[in-house]
Amino acid sequence: MRKLLAATLGILSAVGGFVDVGDLVAASQAGARFGMAHSWVLLLGVVAICAYAEMAGRIAAVTGRAVFDLIRERLGARVALLNLVASYVVTVVTLAAELGGVALAVRLATGVPYLIWVPVAGAAVWLVLWRMRFPVMERVFGLAGLALVVFAVALFWLPTDWAALGHSAVSGGQAGQGWGAYWFVAVALFASTVSPYEVFFFSSGGVEERWGTADLADARFSVLVGFPIGGFLALALIATATVVLRPAGLTVTGLEQVAHPVVLAFGGLGLAIAALAFFAVTFGAALETGLSAAYAAAQYFGWQWGKRVSPREATRFHTVLLVSVLLGVLLLLTAIDPVALTEYMLIISAVALPLTYLPILVVANDRTYLGDRVNGPWLNTLAAALLLVILAASIVAIPLAIGTRMGQ
Amino acid sequence: MSRQLLDRQLVDVQGRLIGKVDDVEFAIDPEGRPYLGTLLTGPGALGLRVGGRLGRMMALAAERFVTDRPMAPLRIPYPLVARIDSAVWLRVRAEELPAPPVEQWLRRHLIDRIPGAGRAGG
Repeated sequence: MRKLLAATLGILSAVGGFVDVGDLVAASQAGARFGMAHSWVLLLGVVAICAYAEMAGRIAAVTGRAVFDLIRERLGARVALLNLVASYVVTVVTLAAELGGVALAVRLATGVPYLIWVPVAGAAVWLVLWRMRFPVMERVFGLAGLALVVFAVALFWLPTDWAALGHSAVSGGQAGQGWGAYWFVAVALFASTVSPYEVFFFSSGGVEERWGTADLADARFSVLVGFPIGGFLALALIATATVVLRPAGLTVTGLEQVAHPVVLAFGGLGLAIAALAFFAVTFGAALETGLSAAYAAAQYFGWQWGKRVSPREATRFHTVLLVSVLLGVLLLLTAIDPVALTEYMLIISAVALPLTYLPILVVANDRTYLGDRVNGPWLNTLAAALLLVILAASIVAIPLAIGTRMGQ
Repeated sequence: MSRQLLDRQLVDVQGRLIGKVDDVEFAIDPEGRPYLGTLLTGPGALGLRVGGRLGRMMALAAERFVTDRPMAPLRIPYPLVARIDSAVWLRVRAEELPAPPVEQWLRRHLIDRIPGAGRAGG
Protein backbone atom coordinates (compact mmCIF):
# COMPACT_ATOMS: atom_id res chain seq x y z
CA MET A 1 0.00 0.00 0.00
CA ARG A 2 2.79 2.39 0.93
CA LYS A 3 4.61 1.47 -2.26
CA LEU A 4 1.51 2.21 -4.28
CA LEU A 5 1.16 5.59 -2.59
CA ALA A 6 4.81 6.43 -3.25
CA ALA A 7 4.40 5.43 -6.90
CA THR A 8 1.30 7.61 -7.23
CA LEU A 9 3.12 10.58 -5.72
CA GLY A 10 6.02 10.11 -8.12
CA ILE A 11 3.63 10.01 -11.05
CA LEU A 12 1.87 13.17 -9.85
CA SER A 13 5.23 14.96 -9.69
CA ALA A 14 6.03 13.85 -13.22
CA VAL A 15 2.63 14.99 -14.56
CA GLY A 16 3.07 18.33 -12.78
CA GLY A 17 6.56 18.64 -14.25
CA PHE A 18 5.36 17.95 -17.76
CA VAL A 19 2.39 20.19 -18.55
CA ASP A 20 3.00 23.94 -18.39
CA VAL A 21 2.00 27.16 -20.15
CA GLY A 22 4.10 26.17 -23.17
CA ASP A 23 2.05 23.00 -23.67
CA LEU A 24 -1.25 24.84 -23.15
CA VAL A 25 -0.42 27.44 -25.81
CA ALA A 26 1.49 25.24 -28.29
CA ALA A 27 -0.94 22.31 -28.16
CA SER A 28 -4.01 24.50 -28.51
CA GLN A 29 -2.46 26.47 -31.34
CA ALA A 30 -1.43 23.32 -33.15
CA GLY A 31 -4.99 21.97 -32.91
CA ALA A 32 -6.67 25.24 -33.87
CA ARG A 33 -4.52 25.71 -36.97
CA PHE A 34 -3.50 22.25 -38.16
CA GLY A 35 -5.90 19.81 -36.50
CA MET A 36 -4.29 16.63 -35.23
CA ALA A 37 -1.44 16.90 -37.75
CA HIS A 38 1.16 17.47 -34.98
CA SER A 39 0.24 14.41 -32.88
CA TRP A 40 3.45 12.70 -33.99
CA VAL A 41 5.51 15.63 -32.62
CA LEU A 42 3.93 15.20 -29.21
CA LEU A 43 4.61 11.46 -29.31
CA LEU A 44 8.25 12.06 -30.27
CA GLY A 45 8.58 14.67 -27.52
CA VAL A 46 7.20 12.29 -24.87
CA VAL A 47 9.59 9.53 -25.96
CA ALA A 48 12.50 12.00 -25.84
CA ILE A 49 11.68 13.39 -22.39
CA CYS A 50 11.14 9.86 -21.02
CA ALA A 51 14.48 8.63 -22.36
CA TYR A 52 16.48 11.63 -21.17
CA ALA A 53 14.73 12.03 -17.82
CA GLU A 54 15.42 8.34 -17.14
CA MET A 55 19.13 8.96 -17.84
CA ALA A 56 19.20 12.09 -15.69
CA GLY A 57 17.43 10.23 -12.87
CA ARG A 58 19.84 7.29 -13.12
CA ILE A 59 22.84 9.64 -13.04
CA ALA A 60 21.40 11.37 -9.96
CA ALA A 61 20.70 8.08 -8.19
CA VAL A 62 24.07 6.46 -8.91
CA THR A 63 26.44 9.43 -8.51
CA GLY A 64 24.41 11.63 -6.15
CA ARG A 65 25.13 14.55 -8.52
CA ALA A 66 22.64 16.62 -10.48
CA VAL A 67 22.81 17.43 -14.18
CA PHE A 68 24.42 20.85 -14.09
CA ASP A 69 27.00 19.71 -11.59
CA LEU A 70 28.27 17.19 -14.13
CA ILE A 71 27.89 19.53 -17.11
CA ARG A 72 30.74 21.60 -15.69
CA GLU A 73 32.92 18.56 -15.05
CA ARG A 74 32.41 17.33 -18.58
CA LEU A 75 32.51 20.59 -20.54
CA GLY A 76 35.09 22.48 -18.48
CA ALA A 77 34.68 25.76 -16.64
CA ARG A 78 34.48 28.07 -19.64
CA VAL A 79 32.09 26.25 -21.98
CA ALA A 80 29.91 25.30 -19.02
CA LEU A 81 29.74 28.97 -17.98
CA LEU A 82 28.43 29.92 -21.43
CA ASN A 83 25.99 27.02 -21.13
CA LEU A 84 24.94 28.29 -17.69
CA VAL A 85 24.32 31.82 -19.00
CA ALA A 86 22.20 30.50 -21.89
CA SER A 87 20.30 28.00 -19.73
CA TYR A 88 19.67 30.62 -17.07
CA VAL A 89 18.24 33.12 -19.57
CA VAL A 90 15.98 30.46 -21.11
CA THR A 91 14.81 29.26 -17.69
CA VAL A 92 14.04 32.77 -16.41
CA VAL A 93 12.11 33.61 -19.59
CA THR A 94 10.21 30.34 -19.05
CA LEU A 95 9.56 31.37 -15.45
CA ALA A 96 8.17 34.70 -16.69
CA ALA A 97 5.91 32.89 -19.17
CA GLU A 98 4.64 30.59 -16.39
CA LEU A 99 3.94 33.57 -14.11
CA GLY A 100 2.07 35.14 -17.02
CA GLY A 101 0.10 31.89 -17.30
CA VAL A 102 -0.76 32.05 -13.58
CA ALA A 103 -1.96 35.65 -14.00
CA LEU A 104 -4.02 34.76 -17.08
CA ALA A 105 -5.58 31.77 -15.26
CA VAL A 106 -6.59 33.99 -12.34
CA ARG A 107 -8.01 36.54 -14.77
CA LEU A 108 -9.99 33.78 -16.42
CA ALA A 109 -11.56 32.99 -13.04
CA THR A 110 -12.01 36.56 -11.74
CA GLY A 111 -12.19 38.87 -14.76
CA VAL A 112 -9.68 41.23 -13.13
CA PRO A 113 -6.92 42.36 -15.60
CA TYR A 114 -3.95 40.01 -15.58
CA LEU A 115 -1.25 42.65 -15.02
CA ILE A 116 -2.57 43.20 -11.49
CA TRP A 117 -2.06 39.51 -10.78
CA VAL A 118 1.54 39.41 -12.01
CA PRO A 119 3.18 40.79 -8.83
CA VAL A 120 0.78 38.73 -6.71
CA ALA A 121 1.71 35.57 -8.59
CA GLY A 122 5.42 36.40 -8.27
CA ALA A 123 5.11 36.99 -4.53
CA ALA A 124 3.11 33.80 -4.04
CA VAL A 125 5.62 31.70 -5.99
CA TRP A 126 8.52 33.14 -4.02
CA LEU A 127 6.72 32.61 -0.72
CA VAL A 128 6.07 28.95 -1.52
CA LEU A 129 9.73 28.50 -2.50
CA TRP A 130 10.83 30.22 0.72
CA ARG A 131 8.61 28.45 3.24
CA MET A 132 6.73 25.42 2.02
CA ARG A 133 7.66 21.79 2.09
CA PHE A 134 8.29 21.36 -1.57
CA PRO A 135 7.32 17.71 -2.23
CA VAL A 136 3.88 18.45 -0.78
CA MET A 137 3.35 21.44 -3.09
CA GLU A 138 4.60 19.50 -6.07
CA ARG A 139 2.03 16.78 -5.49
CA VAL A 140 -0.82 19.17 -4.76
CA PHE A 141 -0.19 21.01 -8.03
CA GLY A 142 0.33 17.74 -9.89
CA LEU A 143 -3.01 16.45 -8.60
CA ALA A 144 -4.86 19.70 -9.38
CA GLY A 145 -3.23 19.72 -12.82
CA LEU A 146 -4.93 16.40 -13.54
CA ALA A 147 -8.11 18.51 -13.78
CA LEU A 148 -6.95 19.04 -17.36
CA VAL A 149 -8.55 15.66 -17.98
CA VAL A 150 -11.73 17.74 -18.36
CA PHE A 151 -10.51 18.38 -21.92
CA ALA A 152 -10.54 14.67 -22.67
CA VAL A 153 -14.00 14.37 -21.09
CA ALA A 154 -15.25 17.31 -23.18
CA LEU A 155 -14.15 15.46 -26.27
CA PHE A 156 -16.62 12.66 -25.41
CA TRP A 157 -19.33 15.10 -24.41
CA LEU A 158 -19.13 17.13 -27.62
CA PRO A 159 -20.37 15.60 -30.89
CA THR A 160 -16.83 14.58 -31.88
CA ASP A 161 -16.34 12.94 -35.25
CA TRP A 162 -13.75 10.41 -34.08
CA ALA A 163 -13.08 8.99 -37.53
CA ALA A 164 -12.22 12.42 -38.93
CA LEU A 165 -10.13 13.19 -35.84
CA GLY A 166 -8.15 9.98 -36.24
CA HIS A 167 -7.80 10.56 -39.95
CA SER A 168 -6.34 14.06 -39.48
CA ALA A 169 -3.82 12.62 -37.00
CA VAL A 170 -2.29 10.32 -39.60
CA SER A 171 -2.79 12.26 -42.81
CA GLY A 172 -2.85 15.88 -41.68
CA GLY A 173 -0.51 18.34 -43.33
CA GLN A 174 0.03 22.04 -43.67
CA ALA A 175 -3.74 22.59 -44.09
CA GLY A 176 -3.38 25.52 -46.46
CA GLN A 177 -1.28 27.52 -43.97
CA GLY A 178 2.12 26.79 -45.49
CA TRP A 179 4.80 24.31 -44.47
CA GLY A 180 6.83 27.05 -42.77
CA ALA A 181 4.05 27.65 -40.26
CA TYR A 182 3.55 23.89 -39.89
CA TRP A 183 7.18 23.31 -38.93
CA PHE A 184 7.27 26.40 -36.74
CA VAL A 185 4.39 24.99 -34.68
CA ALA A 186 6.07 21.57 -34.70
CA VAL A 187 9.29 23.01 -33.23
CA ALA A 188 7.36 25.00 -30.59
CA LEU A 189 5.34 21.93 -29.57
CA PHE A 190 8.46 19.77 -29.41
CA ALA A 191 10.26 22.37 -27.27
CA SER A 192 7.27 22.54 -24.92
CA THR A 193 7.43 18.79 -24.28
CA VAL A 194 11.20 18.56 -23.72
CA SER A 195 11.76 21.83 -21.78
CA PRO A 196 15.28 21.71 -20.28
CA TYR A 197 14.03 22.78 -16.85
CA GLU A 198 12.18 19.47 -16.57
CA VAL A 199 15.45 17.51 -16.47
CA PHE A 200 17.28 20.03 -14.25
CA PHE A 201 14.40 19.82 -11.85
CA PHE A 202 13.97 16.07 -12.02
CA SER A 203 17.64 15.29 -11.41
CA SER A 204 18.07 17.93 -8.66
CA GLY A 205 14.94 16.62 -6.95
CA GLY A 206 16.44 13.14 -7.05
CA VAL A 207 19.63 14.37 -5.39
CA GLU A 208 17.65 16.26 -2.75
CA GLU A 209 15.53 13.25 -1.95
CA ARG A 210 18.77 11.22 -1.72
CA TRP A 211 17.86 8.63 -4.29
CA GLY A 212 20.14 5.62 -4.27
CA THR A 213 20.39 2.75 -6.70
CA ALA A 214 17.53 1.08 -4.78
CA ASP A 215 15.20 3.91 -5.89
CA LEU A 216 16.05 3.52 -9.57
CA ALA A 217 13.06 1.33 -10.38
CA ASP A 218 10.64 3.78 -8.73
CA ALA A 219 12.17 6.78 -10.52
CA ARG A 220 11.98 4.97 -13.84
CA PHE A 221 8.37 3.99 -13.18
CA SER A 222 7.24 7.54 -12.39
CA VAL A 223 8.94 8.86 -15.53
CA LEU A 224 7.53 6.17 -17.80
CA VAL A 225 3.98 6.60 -16.47
CA GLY A 226 3.86 10.28 -15.46
CA PHE A 227 5.26 11.87 -18.63
CA PRO A 228 2.99 9.86 -20.96
CA ILE A 229 -0.01 10.91 -18.83
CA GLY A 230 1.13 14.50 -19.30
CA GLY A 231 1.45 13.80 -23.02
CA PHE A 232 -2.07 12.40 -23.08
CA LEU A 233 -3.40 15.60 -21.48
CA ALA A 234 -1.57 17.67 -24.10
CA LEU A 235 -3.03 15.46 -26.83
CA ALA A 236 -6.51 16.12 -25.41
CA LEU A 237 -5.77 19.85 -25.72
CA ILE A 238 -4.84 19.43 -29.39
CA ALA A 239 -7.94 17.32 -30.01
CA THR A 240 -10.44 19.72 -28.39
CA ALA A 241 -8.86 22.63 -30.27
CA THR A 242 -9.21 20.60 -33.48
CA VAL A 243 -12.87 19.87 -32.82
CA VAL A 244 -13.95 23.29 -31.52
CA LEU A 245 -11.52 26.08 -32.39
CA ARG A 246 -10.56 24.99 -35.88
CA PRO A 247 -14.05 24.85 -37.46
CA ALA A 248 -14.87 28.20 -35.84
CA GLY A 249 -11.69 29.72 -37.25
CA LEU A 250 -10.50 30.83 -33.79
CA THR A 251 -6.81 31.40 -33.11
CA VAL A 252 -5.23 31.18 -29.68
CA THR A 253 -4.46 34.65 -28.32
CA GLY A 254 -5.07 33.90 -24.65
CA LEU A 255 -6.13 31.17 -22.25
CA GLU A 256 -9.82 31.96 -22.98
CA GLN A 257 -9.48 30.27 -26.35
CA VAL A 258 -7.64 27.33 -24.79
CA ALA A 259 -10.54 26.92 -22.32
CA HIS A 260 -13.23 27.57 -24.93
CA PRO A 261 -13.95 23.90 -25.79
CA VAL A 262 -14.68 22.93 -22.18
CA VAL A 263 -16.79 26.06 -21.70
CA LEU A 264 -18.78 25.02 -24.77
CA ALA A 265 -19.23 21.53 -23.30
CA PHE A 266 -19.81 22.28 -19.61
CA GLY A 267 -20.50 26.03 -19.29
CA GLY A 268 -19.45 27.85 -16.12
CA LEU A 269 -18.41 24.66 -14.36
CA GLY A 270 -16.13 23.83 -17.28
CA LEU A 271 -14.58 27.28 -17.09
CA ALA A 272 -13.95 26.89 -13.35
CA ILE A 273 -12.30 23.49 -13.78
CA ALA A 274 -10.19 24.72 -16.71
CA ALA A 275 -9.09 27.83 -14.77
CA LEU A 276 -8.15 25.66 -11.78
CA ALA A 277 -6.17 23.30 -14.01
CA PHE A 278 -4.39 26.16 -15.80
CA PHE A 279 -3.56 27.75 -12.46
CA ALA A 280 -2.20 24.49 -11.05
CA VAL A 281 0.00 23.60 -14.01
CA THR A 282 1.41 27.09 -14.49
CA PHE A 283 1.98 27.71 -10.78
CA GLY A 284 3.64 24.32 -10.41
CA ALA A 285 5.82 25.02 -13.44
CA ALA A 286 6.70 28.49 -12.09
CA LEU A 287 7.98 26.83 -8.90
CA GLU A 288 10.00 24.34 -10.91
CA THR A 289 11.50 26.88 -13.32
CA GLY A 290 12.43 29.21 -10.46
CA LEU A 291 14.15 26.37 -8.64
CA SER A 292 15.79 25.13 -11.84
CA ALA A 293 17.34 28.54 -12.54
CA ALA A 294 18.83 28.59 -9.04
CA TYR A 295 19.86 24.91 -9.21
CA ALA A 296 21.81 25.53 -12.43
CA ALA A 297 23.72 28.50 -10.98
CA ALA A 298 24.41 26.82 -7.62
CA GLN A 299 25.51 23.57 -9.24
CA TYR A 300 27.87 25.34 -11.62
CA PHE A 301 29.58 27.29 -8.82
CA GLY A 302 29.36 24.51 -6.24
CA TRP A 303 27.28 26.53 -3.78
CA GLN A 304 25.18 24.90 -1.10
CA TRP A 305 21.70 24.50 -2.61
CA GLY A 306 18.39 22.92 -1.93
CA LYS A 307 15.32 23.00 0.23
CA ARG A 308 16.68 20.65 2.90
CA VAL A 309 18.93 23.32 4.39
CA SER A 310 17.67 26.65 5.76
CA PRO A 311 17.90 29.72 3.50
CA ARG A 312 20.65 31.22 5.67
CA GLU A 313 22.85 28.21 4.97
CA ALA A 314 22.25 28.55 1.22
CA THR A 315 22.12 32.32 0.81
CA ARG A 316 23.54 32.48 -2.72
CA PHE A 317 21.06 29.85 -3.89
CA HIS A 318 18.15 31.71 -2.31
CA THR A 319 19.39 35.05 -3.66
CA VAL A 320 19.41 33.66 -7.21
CA LEU A 321 15.92 32.28 -6.57
CA LEU A 322 14.65 35.68 -5.40
CA VAL A 323 16.36 37.57 -8.23
CA SER A 324 15.00 35.13 -10.83
CA VAL A 325 11.41 35.56 -9.65
CA LEU A 326 11.90 39.36 -9.63
CA LEU A 327 13.31 39.28 -13.17
CA GLY A 328 10.33 37.21 -14.30
CA VAL A 329 7.88 39.68 -12.77
CA LEU A 330 9.74 42.68 -14.28
CA LEU A 331 9.73 41.06 -17.72
CA LEU A 332 5.94 40.67 -17.55
CA LEU A 333 5.41 44.18 -16.19
CA THR A 334 6.77 45.53 -19.49
CA ALA A 335 3.20 44.58 -20.56
CA ILE A 336 4.53 42.06 -23.09
CA ASP A 337 1.68 39.75 -24.13
CA PRO A 338 2.12 36.53 -22.07
CA VAL A 339 1.08 34.32 -24.99
CA ALA A 340 3.59 35.99 -27.32
CA LEU A 341 6.20 35.66 -24.55
CA THR A 342 5.38 31.93 -24.35
CA GLU A 343 5.97 31.59 -28.10
CA TYR A 344 9.33 33.37 -27.89
CA MET A 345 10.20 31.25 -24.86
CA LEU A 346 9.51 28.04 -26.80
CA ILE A 347 11.72 29.15 -29.68
CA ILE A 348 14.70 30.07 -27.49
CA SER A 349 14.18 26.84 -25.51
CA ALA A 350 14.37 24.93 -28.79
CA VAL A 351 17.67 26.64 -29.64
CA ALA A 352 19.11 25.80 -26.21
CA LEU A 353 17.96 22.15 -26.12
CA PRO A 354 21.30 20.53 -27.10
CA LEU A 355 23.07 22.41 -24.28
CA THR A 356 21.17 20.25 -21.80
CA TYR A 357 20.63 17.01 -23.65
CA LEU A 358 24.04 16.40 -25.20
CA PRO A 359 25.93 16.41 -21.84
CA ILE A 360 23.32 14.06 -20.33
CA LEU A 361 23.90 11.54 -23.10
CA VAL A 362 27.68 11.86 -22.68
CA VAL A 363 27.59 11.34 -18.90
CA ALA A 364 25.07 8.49 -19.21
CA ASN A 365 27.76 6.62 -21.19
CA ASP A 366 30.65 7.41 -18.83
CA ARG A 367 31.74 4.38 -16.81
CA THR A 368 33.83 6.47 -14.42
CA TYR A 369 30.53 7.91 -13.12
CA LEU A 370 28.03 5.15 -13.67
CA GLY A 371 30.07 1.94 -13.58
CA ASP A 372 28.00 -0.81 -15.19
CA ARG A 373 24.83 1.31 -15.07
CA VAL A 374 25.72 3.12 -18.30
CA ASN A 375 23.23 3.15 -21.18
CA GLY A 376 22.59 -0.11 -22.99
CA PRO A 377 22.93 -0.28 -26.79
CA TRP A 378 19.17 0.04 -27.44
CA LEU A 379 18.78 3.12 -25.29
CA ASN A 380 21.88 4.64 -26.89
CA THR A 381 20.53 4.09 -30.39
CA LEU A 382 17.22 5.67 -29.40
CA ALA A 383 18.89 8.53 -27.54
CA ALA A 384 21.27 9.27 -30.42
CA ALA A 385 18.37 9.37 -32.89
CA LEU A 386 16.46 11.68 -30.54
CA LEU A 387 19.53 13.88 -30.17
CA LEU A 388 19.56 14.32 -33.95
CA VAL A 389 15.93 15.47 -33.76
CA ILE A 390 16.86 17.84 -30.91
CA LEU A 391 19.78 19.24 -32.92
CA ALA A 392 17.57 19.68 -35.98
CA ALA A 393 14.94 21.53 -33.93
CA SER A 394 17.64 23.72 -32.44
CA ILE A 395 19.15 24.62 -35.80
CA VAL A 396 15.89 25.39 -37.62
CA ALA A 397 14.16 27.23 -34.75
CA ILE A 398 15.49 30.75 -35.41
CA PRO A 399 15.38 30.60 -39.24
CA LEU A 400 11.78 29.31 -39.02
CA ALA A 401 10.80 32.00 -36.51
CA ILE A 402 12.21 34.75 -38.75
CA GLY A 403 11.11 33.18 -42.04
CA THR A 404 7.51 32.73 -40.94
CA ARG A 405 7.41 35.81 -38.68
CA MET A 406 6.62 33.66 -35.61
CA GLY A 407 4.47 31.19 -37.51
CA GLN A 408 2.18 33.61 -39.36
CA MET B 1 45.54 13.92 -11.52
CA SER B 2 44.69 17.63 -11.61
CA ARG B 3 42.35 17.00 -14.57
CA GLN B 4 40.48 14.54 -12.39
CA LEU B 5 40.14 17.14 -9.66
CA LEU B 6 39.36 20.30 -11.59
CA ASP B 7 35.71 21.38 -11.59
CA ARG B 8 34.71 18.70 -9.08
CA GLN B 9 32.37 19.46 -6.21
CA LEU B 10 34.07 20.02 -2.82
CA VAL B 11 32.11 18.46 0.02
CA ASP B 12 32.80 18.74 3.75
CA VAL B 13 32.82 15.83 6.17
CA GLN B 14 29.06 16.24 6.84
CA GLY B 15 28.09 16.45 3.18
CA ARG B 16 27.83 20.24 2.97
CA LEU B 17 28.76 21.79 -0.36
CA ILE B 18 31.86 24.02 -0.12
CA GLY B 19 32.40 25.02 -3.75
CA LYS B 20 34.09 23.62 -6.85
CA VAL B 21 37.75 22.93 -7.37
CA ASP B 22 38.25 26.10 -9.41
CA ASP B 23 42.02 25.73 -9.72
CA VAL B 24 44.93 23.74 -8.31
CA GLU B 25 48.45 24.76 -7.24
CA PHE B 26 51.50 22.58 -7.48
CA ALA B 27 54.44 22.77 -5.10
CA ILE B 28 58.00 21.42 -5.35
CA ASP B 29 59.26 18.92 -2.80
CA PRO B 30 62.87 19.03 -1.46
CA GLU B 31 64.00 16.66 -4.20
CA GLY B 32 62.66 19.01 -6.86
CA ARG B 33 59.64 16.91 -7.81
CA PRO B 34 56.31 18.72 -8.30
CA TYR B 35 53.35 17.59 -6.21
CA LEU B 36 49.76 18.71 -5.84
CA GLY B 37 49.83 21.25 -3.02
CA THR B 38 46.61 23.21 -2.77
CA LEU B 39 43.07 23.25 -4.12
CA LEU B 40 41.66 26.74 -4.82
CA THR B 41 38.00 27.67 -4.83
CA GLY B 42 36.26 31.02 -5.27
CA PRO B 43 35.15 33.40 -8.02
CA GLY B 44 38.61 34.99 -8.31
CA ALA B 45 40.32 31.69 -9.11
CA LEU B 46 37.48 30.62 -11.40
CA GLY B 47 37.52 33.96 -13.23
CA LEU B 48 41.23 33.59 -13.97
CA ARG B 49 40.76 30.08 -15.28
CA VAL B 50 37.74 30.93 -17.41
CA GLY B 51 39.71 33.90 -18.73
CA GLY B 52 38.65 36.49 -21.26
CA ARG B 53 36.00 39.11 -20.74
CA LEU B 54 33.54 36.59 -19.31
CA GLY B 55 35.96 35.52 -16.57
CA ARG B 56 36.87 39.12 -15.68
CA MET B 57 33.21 40.14 -15.54
CA MET B 58 32.42 37.30 -13.19
CA ALA B 59 35.32 38.04 -10.85
CA LEU B 60 34.45 41.77 -10.82
CA ALA B 61 30.79 41.01 -10.09
CA ALA B 62 31.82 38.87 -7.10
CA GLU B 63 34.27 41.51 -5.86
CA ARG B 64 31.47 44.02 -5.48
CA PHE B 65 30.43 42.08 -2.39
CA VAL B 66 33.77 42.22 -0.54
CA THR B 67 35.88 44.98 0.98
CA ASP B 68 39.40 43.57 0.54
CA ARG B 69 40.21 43.31 -3.15
CA PRO B 70 41.36 41.48 -5.12
CA MET B 71 39.36 38.66 -3.70
CA ALA B 72 41.52 35.84 -2.39
CA PRO B 73 40.32 32.32 -3.18
CA LEU B 74 39.74 29.79 -0.43
CA ARG B 75 42.90 27.64 -0.22
CA ILE B 76 42.52 24.02 0.81
CA PRO B 77 45.79 22.13 1.46
CA TYR B 78 45.66 18.83 -0.37
CA PRO B 79 46.20 16.70 2.78
CA LEU B 80 42.72 17.81 3.91
CA VAL B 81 41.21 15.71 1.09
CA ALA B 82 39.81 12.45 2.49
CA ARG B 83 38.68 10.75 -0.70
CA ILE B 84 37.67 11.42 -4.29
CA ASP B 85 34.71 9.84 -6.06
CA SER B 86 32.14 11.85 -8.02
CA ALA B 87 33.05 14.63 -5.55
CA VAL B 88 36.10 15.69 -3.53
CA TRP B 89 35.42 14.88 0.14
CA LEU B 90 37.30 16.85 2.81
CA ARG B 91 38.28 15.74 6.32
CA VAL B 92 37.09 18.99 7.91
CA ARG B 93 33.75 20.63 8.62
CA ALA B 94 32.64 23.69 6.63
CA GLU B 95 32.79 25.85 9.80
CA GLU B 96 36.51 25.20 10.15
CA LEU B 97 37.16 26.84 6.78
CA PRO B 98 36.81 30.60 6.14
CA ALA B 99 33.24 31.38 5.01
CA PRO B 100 32.82 32.47 1.36
CA PRO B 101 32.68 36.31 1.36
CA VAL B 102 29.76 36.63 -1.08
CA GLU B 103 27.72 34.14 0.93
CA GLN B 104 28.49 36.08 4.13
CA TRP B 105 27.60 39.44 2.59
CA LEU B 106 24.30 38.18 1.19
CA ARG B 107 23.46 36.51 4.50
CA ARG B 108 24.04 39.68 6.48
CA HIS B 109 22.44 42.15 4.07
CA LEU B 110 19.63 40.20 2.43
CA ILE B 111 18.64 36.70 3.47
CA ASP B 112 18.86 37.08 7.27
CA ARG B 113 16.58 40.11 7.06
CA ILE B 114 13.74 38.05 5.62
CA PRO B 115 11.62 36.31 8.30
CA GLY B 116 12.00 32.53 8.32
CA ALA B 117 15.58 32.47 7.04
CA GLY B 118 16.64 30.01 9.73
CA ARG B 119 14.12 27.33 8.90
CA ALA B 120 14.60 24.61 6.30
CA GLY B 121 11.69 24.21 3.90
CA GLY B 122 12.05 20.44 3.52
